[in-house]
Amino acid sequence: MANDVIISLQDVTFTYEGDVVALRNLNLTAQKGEFVVVLGANGAGKSTLCYLLSGIVPHIYGGRRRGHVSVAGLDPWDEPLYVTSQRCGVLMQDPEVQLFMPTLKAELAFGPANLGVPQDEIIRRSQAALALVRLEGLEEHNPRDLSGGQKQRAALAAVLTMSPQVLVLDEPTSQLDPLGRWEVVEAIERLKQKGDLTIVMTTHETEEVLRLADQVVVLERGETVLQGTPSEVFAQAERLEEAGVKTPALILVQSKLLRSGGDKTAPLGEERVDLTLSEVANQTRESVETGRLTVHPEALPRPRPVASDGPVLLEARNLTVEYPGPPAVTALRDVNVQIRQGEFVGIVGQNGSGKSTLVKCFVGLLRPKKGEVLFRGESIRKLSVGEIARRVGLVLQNPDYQLFTASCRDEIRFGLRNVGVPPEEMEQRVEESLRLVGLSEEADLFPFRLSFGDRRKLAVAATMALDPEVLIMDEPTTAQDHRGRYQLAELARCFHEEKQGTVLMITHDVDLIARYAHRLIVLYEGQVLLDGPTAEVFTQVEELKKSFVVPPVAAQLARELAPLGVPPHVMTLGGLYQVLVSQRDEGEVV
Amino acid sequence: MQPVFRYTHLDTPIHRLHPLVKLAYVLLTLVLVMYPIKEGDMPVLLIWLGFSAVLWALARIELRGFTTLLKILTGTFIFLILIQGFTYRGGNTPLIVLGHLKLWEADLGVITKEGVWFGLVLCVRILVATSSLPLFVMTTPTSAIMTAMGKLRIPQTVTFMLVSALSFTTLLFEMWGSIVDAQKLRAFDIDSMNFVKRAVKAYVPIITPLILLLFRKANDFQIAMETKGFGAPVEPTEIETLTARPVDYLWLALIVIVFMLCTALKFAR
Repeated sequence: MANDVIISLQDVTFTYEGDVVALRNLNLTAQKGEFVVVLGANGAGKSTLCYLLSGIVPHIYGGRRRGHVSVAGLDPWDEPLYVTSQRCGVLMQDPEVQLFMPTLKAELAFGPANLGVPQDEIIRRSQAALALVRLEGLEEHNPRDLSGGQKQRAALAAVLTMSPQVLVLDEPTSQLDPLGRWEVVEAIERLKQKGDLTIVMTTHETEEVLRLADQVVVLERGETVLQGTPSEVFAQAERLEEAGVKTPALILVQSKLLRSGGDKTAPLGEERVDLTLSEVANQTRESVETGRLTVHPEALPRPRPVASDGPVLLEARNLTVEYPGPPAVTALRDVNVQIRQGEFVGIVGQNGSGKSTLVKCFVGLLRPKKGEVLFRGESIRKLSVGEIARRVGLVLQNPDYQLFTASCRDEIRFGLRNVGVPPEEMEQRVEESLRLVGLSEEADLFPFRLSFGDRRKLAVAATMALDPEVLIMDEPTTAQDHRGRYQLAELARCFHEEKQGTVLMITHDVDLIARYAHRLIVLYEGQVLLDGPTAEVFTQVEELKKSFVVPPVAAQLARELAPLGVPPHVMTLGGLYQVLVSQRDEGEVV
Repeated sequence: MQPVFRYTHLDTPIHRLHPLVKLAYVLLTLVLVMYPIKEGDMPVLLIWLGFSAVLWALARIELRGFTTLLKILTGTFIFLILIQGFTYRGGNTPLIVLGHLKLWEADLGVITKEGVWFGLVLCVRILVATSSLPLFVMTTPTSAIMTAMGKLRIPQTVTFMLVSALSFTTLLFEMWGSIVDAQKLRAFDIDSMNFVKRAVKAYVPIITPLILLLFRKANDFQIAMETKGFGAPVEPTEIETLTARPVDYLWLALIVIVFMLCTALKFAR
């Protein structure tokens, strides 16, 4: 690695118009080829840092800055955006808004063409970028027709054709499915291997980028709270937790169970953080053999069995759904699923596997030509979506498609008024729903003034107020940080436990499934690939691979350690710690 | 389904046609519909509409993508025919007599044959006017549109405004569908409302989030474009090289001949 500084931020403070301080006294130095990972909860200042480096601040978002910024020899504050963009490229979260040309070829040429780069050079850069993101052969495709991962790689390639020296990636995988995430991270890894780009990446998915990082910065409310090599930063699991940053599961296991002498407070020092599952499994085996760890399979109770005697609430019978083309797409093929009262069901599968189509059929937004959907044994064919909504509530991923009123209270009243709830009861339900999601104090606020997480909670409250028997949540962890990712799932748990409701949850987050769902349905190419108790489904590793579903780390470790007596129903780290107990902890218990 | 106003990559004679030839067809269509209208214009308009229909068929554009637009147009056509039927002053052959309500020269209680005919002429004129632009944008890549407009010395910013608006149209349709679905899930059943109820109250819960989302998306688009050098004070490179083939000249000649035939027919009488 050459020893020249490409990014230099010295004592930088940035305040948005309206006096919102987004960054305070920030210091960052990165050299050519360095990979900097920036972590932090939502609102920590990660995106502002990206805007500051790429010149979006102050040229698009205004504000006041103090301190010194140098990016590839320029101060983005002093240069017009088209100049900064030739030194520093930026890739944002949502690929949809970064692609606007009709073909991939035109998309890649757009940037350099704006700068008057000669045509043969544009072609050369485009070919190199396409090869790097592995999208060769798709030049004539419309970028909007590509899969999520392909779209984001196309957007990345379009940034690369600007030939930047610095690449800023603002949560580039946060809106993708597991396959899409893997594809994008693989492309980023190739960029890192080339070694001539300095990369700054913000993310919540620490596991994905840990092996790539040379430097890690953790932000909290605009300030740097941790900064250093991955080993130095991830040794501080508790501080990371406080800052709302997820420590990778394997590091947590090592820290909790395997540190020499069982001393949990000792720092990791220069221990490696890019651990593999088999390494941790081997270390655990050694610890058990040497007596430093003991296995207590009986300590973890078996999970509650899947309810097989409750009445069937929802049923898909021989469901086939085809979207007209060209090209026609069969989204569901002869699907048969029964959802019983009181179940908490997780639904996983790649984008395009039929998850959303299935739940849209359940709520009547899609009317299948073949097969039928039944609610309590009766066909829903003749019911309107509104009538079904009183029985089956669906919370969509993006709350902004539904919010339109002047206050949170009005937002909840809207649905209740549509179903004809009397005024007195309406007010009771409004207050109860707001209380349930923890938004009582924000009841009179304009919904768009809430954070994204709170807007999603409001959407849940609006759905729950209709008092449905079944609650369906679509991707409750999307765009949420580590701390906020389970807030919606917790609401679903309350609905399930306190109201004895039935819950269906579509997600890519296997940790969330492990923690909440006792039944798991895996969809693959429009068909049910697996369906059963969650722990059992997670043991079907080979089948799961087909749909790019990787069981949680704890479940994988349990599988590896099964010969030692670790039971197969371990799915969470909490469960693993109950089964594997260190000598020191046993001593404490005694 | 082929989205409305979105370029679809197909290999058809119309897709291969030089963008400037297609642009000539759009401009001549506009000239034709801007001629002062008379009730005897129907043959002229039908010739051009027939010609456009042939171009649409050759371009393999599917009409089912235009269902919503056609529904709106049908409503407009019924309204136009009725209004002209009751109020047209160029003739008074009664077709349907509902009563008599004289207002100056017109009898508002009578639907006249001439009025209905004039209403039909107006409808065909609207069809002709609305048929050319979708054909152009759905068969011409944005980059080729930009190059063609550049050749006409139209400023890049103006061209890109048009191109972005087209890109936004697709997004607008997608967002509209998602918002309608989201509100239906809250028992707001727009489909079961009558026309008046929809006009009065149904669109607020749909248009409000749509506008807010569009503002946000427009901001994101601005970032994406400006961080790719859009607006740099340099002569942009032509992404697509446009070369005219003999067949393009033949098509241009054909379009001009049909246009001249229509013009001659219109002014001959």
